[in-house]
Amino acid sequence: MTCNCVDAPVPPLFGVQTLFAAQHTSESCGANGLPLTPNSITILGYAQKLRTLNHPNLVSHLDFIRKQHGRIILVSQYFNRSLWTESKNYSLLIPLEKVLSWTHRILSALSYLNDNGLVHRFLTPQYILLDDEDNVKLFNYGIYYMTNSGKNITFPIGKLKYTAPEVLVLDRASNKSGPKTDSWSLGIIILELLLGAQLWPTLKLSQIIRKILSLTHCTDVVMRLAREMGRLTMYQSLPSELKDFLSKCICMDVTKRMCPKELYDHKIFSLYEYSKILTNKCYSCKHPLRQMKLNQVYYLWKLAGGDVEWALKKKGLLRNESSILLIPRLIILEGTLYGNARNQSCLLDLQIIELSLDLLVNRLQHLKITDYDPLIDQIKDCDDTIDKLPLVIREKDTEYQFHRIVLFDRLLSSYPFKLDKLLIEAKKDIPPYFRGEIWACLLNVCSDTENTYLSIDKETAGVTDRQIEVDIPRCHQYNDLLSSSVAHKKLKRVLKAWLVSHPEYVYWQGLDSLCAPFVYLNFCKEHVAYACLTAFVKKYLNDVFLRDNSAVIREYLIKLFHLIAFHDPQLANHLDDKGFIPDLFAIPWFLTMFSHVFPMHKIFHLWDKLLLGDSSYPLFVGLSILSQLRSTLLNSGFNECILLFSDLPEVDIEKCVLESSKFNDVTPRSITFRKYELRTETREHDPCLIYEVLQKEFSPRISVYDLQELKRSSQKFLVVDAREQGCYIEKCIPGSLNIPIKEEDFEDENFDLAPSPELSALVNNRGSVLIVVDNLHQINKVRKFCRFLVKKEYPKVCSLHGGIEALQTFNILGPAILF
Amino acid sequence: MNGVKDYEKKHQKTFCYTISTLNIPDTYKIEVPVHIPFEGSIDELSHRIINGFNLPLNVIEELSSELQKFVEKCTIDFYDCQTVDAIESIRNESIEVEDIVKYWEKAFQEETFSFTDNKGPSNDQLFGTAFHKLAHSGPSLDAILHIEYGYAQAVQDIMSRKCRQVTSLTKTQTEEMNYAMDGLNKYTTEDDINALALKHFDDQTLLQGKWNSRLDTLKQEQRTGYREWVMKTVEEMQGVDGLYSPIGNSPINIVTNGFTISNMSLYDMEESFTIHLGSQMKSTHNIRIMSADTLNLLSLTLEENGTVVHHPQRLQTVLELYSQDLKGLVLFIDTNNLDFYSGLAKEFFDICDGSTEFHFNSLQDQLEIIKSDLKVAVENRKCKGPVSNFLSPELQARRNKSKLLQCGDVYITKHSNLASVHLVFHMVIDDSLKSGDINSRHPVILGLRNILKTACSYDITMITIPLFLTHEMTEDMTVPWCQKRAELVLKCVKGFMIESVSLGGSELKTIQFLVPKGISEEVFGILATMVPTIFRVSTPLVFESSEPEIESQTKNKKSSKSKRNSKSK
Repeated sequence: MTCNCVDAPVPPLFGVQTLFAAQHTSESCGANGLPLTPNSITILGYAQKLRTLNHPNLVSHLDFIRKQHGRIILVSQYFNRSLWTESKNYSLLIPLEKVLSWTHRILSALSYLNDNGLVHRFLTPQYILLDDEDNVKLFNYGIYYMTNSGKNITFPIGKLKYTAPEVLVLDRASNKSGPKTDSWSLGIIILELLLGAQLWPTLKLSQIIRKILSLTHCTDVVMRLAREMGRLTMYQSLPSELKDFLSKCICMDVTKRMCPKELYDHKIFSLYEYSKILTNKCYSCKHPLRQMKLNQVYYLWKLAGGDVEWALKKKGLLRNESSILLIPRLIILEGTLYGNARNQSCLLDLQIIELSLDLLVNRLQHLKITDYDPLIDQIKDCDDTIDKLPLVIREKDTEYQFHRIVLFDRLLSSYPFKLDKLLIEAKKDIPPYFRGEIWACLLNVCSDTENTYLSIDKETAGVTDRQIEVDIPRCHQYNDLLSSSVAHKKLKRVLKAWLVSHPEYVYWQGLDSLCAPFVYLNFCKEHVAYACLTAFVKKYLNDVFLRDNSAVIREYLIKLFHLIAFHDPQLANHLDDKGFIPDLFAIPWFLTMFSHVFPMHKIFHLWDKLLLGDSSYPLFVGLSILSQLRSTLLNSGFNECILLFSDLPEVDIEKCVLESSKFNDVTPRSITFRKYELRTETREHDPCLIYEVLQKEFSPRISVYDLQELKRSSQKFLVVDAREQGCYIEKCIPGSLNIPIKEEDFEDENFDLAPSPELSALVNNRGSVLIVVDNLHQINKVRKFCRFLVKKEYPKVCSLHGGIEALQTFNILGPAILF
Repeated sequence: MNGVKDYEKKHQKTFCYTISTLNIPDTYKIEVPVHIPFEGSIDELSHRIINGFNLPLNVIEELSSELQKFVEKCTIDFYDCQTVDAIESIRNESIEVEDIVKYWEKAFQEETFSFTDNKGPSNDQLFGTAFHKLAHSGPSLDAILHIEYGYAQAVQDIMSRKCRQVTSLTKTQTEEMNYAMDGLNKYTTEDDINALALKHFDDQTLLQGKWNSRLDTLKQEQRTGYREWVMKTVEEMQGVDGLYSPIGNSPINIVTNGFTISNMSLYDMEESFTIHLGSQMKSTHNIRIMSADTLNLLSLTLEENGTVVHHPQRLQTVLELYSQDLKGLVLFIDTNNLDFYSGLAKEFFDICDGSTEFHFNSLQDQLEIIKSDLKVAVENRKCKGPVSNFLSPELQARRNKSKLLQCGDVYITKHSNLASVHLVFHMVIDDSLKSGDINSRHPVILGLRNILKTACSYDITMITIPLFLTHEMTEDMTVPWCQKRAELVLKCVKGFMIESVSLGGSELKTIQFLVPKGISEEVFGILATMVPTIFRVSTPLVFESSEPEIESQTKNKKSSKSKRNSKSK
């Protein structure tokens, strides 16, 4: 047991290294005619898999950063003790039991790697780290994998004297190494530890290579190596099982050499009771930060101002040579460069720099121990001051994010229990650290998506494969991760899985953009990305991906126009006047839920809110984008408008999100009712209309339910009854305003309402919801009246769906009270 | 390669699985080809097999574990086989041991820091770092400019003295010769005249040689003095806190007539645009289109109303010399032999030669080195023949045969003594460029692409490109020709810029398009309007304070309301 204490010191937990990807030579064009992906991006894509590896004897990878000119920065867990430092510190031999205990754990880690398709290939005593409890942690096990077996880099991987002889041949022809090369390296490391001596400590590079190659000619390699180390007698005194174990590692006959998994079960490990060796149990106080997940600590450290590059720079590892000294002298037309100097700072220097956590600890100094481990129900709201800050600032605030992470960590682990609380918290904001998981929860993605996803055939060729392959290399490619080949593959698989599992739908261009955020956020969990996409499309884009989706799309667009007329009559009039209808600009908006028009970081903030809203929310987003561009639009003719939208100008996304939720709050639900949206039931008086009817109307319809809702709420509204006075007196909605009007009146273009007490009442109520009511058969009159009111720039004009007749069953009509 | 089998080709093994059910007495045997080493999910493949062969779902676990075992075994076999081959090839020496040794030795020595021979920065880099530090430390920049100016004056002095002497010698020689010619057959013979001509020639050569060697010596002295001064000053600066004034130990006397920086515009006409590239993530760049004399951008001093003034951009250029913000210029050269004897090339050479190059080799030396690079390049081109996807086979064949630079090839020279650029891209052109209908596959356009790519890889953030791909106006350049050419270049450059964004290098912040001096205002206007149609010009950011507007609106509303109210009353 250890106790936690906020005053306890925190040692550095992470180490950072840097390396360079190989540059493409000369003509760089892929088979598809697009420029080749830079190797650094390819590496970044492969490296993501390393984040998913989780084994007690492997360090965890925290971050991969790509920088200019092919530089990659790796951040991973780090301990400053290793087999190397241990063997140097021991004046005597390291006890056999200890070595065996380490070996067994190394083998366990290696077989885990093999199971996941990885080979270490960089085993050296320096990269076998030991944590506080003397537990083995393998380091740098991902370099061979992430560089695609060394194909994307120029430097050699591995330390020569630990390298198996076949590697010297195979690597040169860039053939992949198998798991047994690690057995060899491990064998030599253990031999060195057991005999307490270094192999070939003074030999030069070329001599070592020759030595390794010459080993192929000898029969008992271990004996030979022991002799070379000058410890032959010592070797001979080793237990025979141990000698057998070594000969199964270091063995020229590869069929006899065992792979790590077989070595793990070697009888030597059952002979010695090494497991009982006391490990250095740590009893001292620990800082509660160390209980948190390493990824979270790293995330917070970065927020607190931790700068990986600066740490490297301080140690001289980010030395930049002046480009003017490196530039080539001659570029021939084919693209080959001559006379460029080798950048000396590009050389591989895998020095590990420890990152101090002091910054973060200081930043969180005043937190109490309970802050690290709160009870969900007792989490008090953070002070209001921070809630009012802009989202971008909150996302950068270490302490705020700390609380959010602690909170959501609890909420997510208890999901679906506590979903209500999760929703409340997500409404405030969604911490970027957990965005992927929270989104999945908001979309009601269950845990068992993996099996469903596994069973879907994503390999068999389909009709739209070609189109998908063309689209993916053009989808959010400014994003490093998404432009990697691994991401392309994943995106394609998720898209294909969706298409296969939804045979009623087809691939419409834009589905790729829609898929991209989910793949990005769930990069190593394709099945979650798939499940999210499925749920998302169902909720917001129901039937949009039908082969013939014109009805759905057209309804969407006309609804947007109704909404504009409802909230911004002036703009609606202008757009109508110029003939600039939503069909001309808004199709990609809704087809991709804005993911085609905005960069990723903006989509995140937009969707954070979108996912909390219902299926009509996208319309409000569209409206708020238009209202941001309002002044430009009002001053533009048709051509300027087209130009403006062909490349959407920068949109302030936070403002857009705020406004859209404001619009959402003040708009009765039936205004945005769509026939094709996904809903559980359609009630009798819901304005479920066909496109031809919608098209004839300029203003939306409101349902009786919403009228009643308005009555109950505090929202201001006014019912305008257009019937003749006689009918009005007989039966009307209490509180309604009678402006008797004939359809013929509107034929006169200059028609205006005559001054009357009713008109002044109407004017005074400008801004409230105006509901035009008439008999059902007077539908055309109502339309014209609405259009008239919008022309007069009255906002929030709508007509009652079903006319006055719809109200009859609701028992709210009564005789008018005349003044 | 070298006797090792190509394992890249994936091995295919056939996985067999037999299934028997209670209902049907027969057993079914299925065969599935599997690639080894297997990349992918075993479970997924099992599902595919089940679906593909219509197997009952209850066999999935068994099938999956069978498949797992099968793949594991095959993988081990695959690697074993590969390893056996490799070890065998070492044993029987089908691969030369020395080759392996050399390969690995080279790999470690050239690519890893711990084994490399030349650790640490080069001498040039050391000097560069020192200079950069000095230039960026307040008063030193002034000193640098003073010294450079003083040195340049000294060079100019000698040059003008040389010029004077040469002219006077030529004058006396002409007189002598005239006199001799007049007296031909009277008091001189043809032999006399020949001897005289020979003597004159010798005298000229002697004089030229004398001055040239004086110039060389001076430049050498200046260069050494300058570099020593920089290093010394930086060293001294490190010991002193606060501002350190380096003027004291300047290697030259205080410049007598201090310099004035020109504040006249270098461009006859110019127009700048801020543009966006990219559909979702937008990157911002600057595009400038300007009409100016190319050499005016380079020459350190300018003539202004009869007095010599200094180039206004020089200061910035000095500051950025060793930075990650380099400036480049594309210069078109119509000869392919790397000699700068005539035309614009000669004028460019004279500008470079007009002052001492303190940081890099002199232009002449740089050209010599490029010549040797060219030999290597020609050799490579001949035997391996790197192929461009864009060139027609005939052109490629012609190129591969040539020993000279060809249209579209580019060589780069570095300069520290030019006014507004650090690097000059010399692109070789030919007469085909004069034609009106060149397309985006023309070698010069492809060369431009290479230049922009190089710019991105080597931190060149500003580049100047002659918009018409020529430096002078000629009579053939009609308005439609200009329009067509400008459109082609702008569009291609746009494409290359988009392409280079994905390369992950530095960002091309500014691209300047240069049009020859003397272009009519009308044509310039046409070109300037062309930019916004090709590039997406960013809409100006208009600051509107939204709140007062609403207020005014409500005010209006109120007033209108009151009016109406009064009416209704």
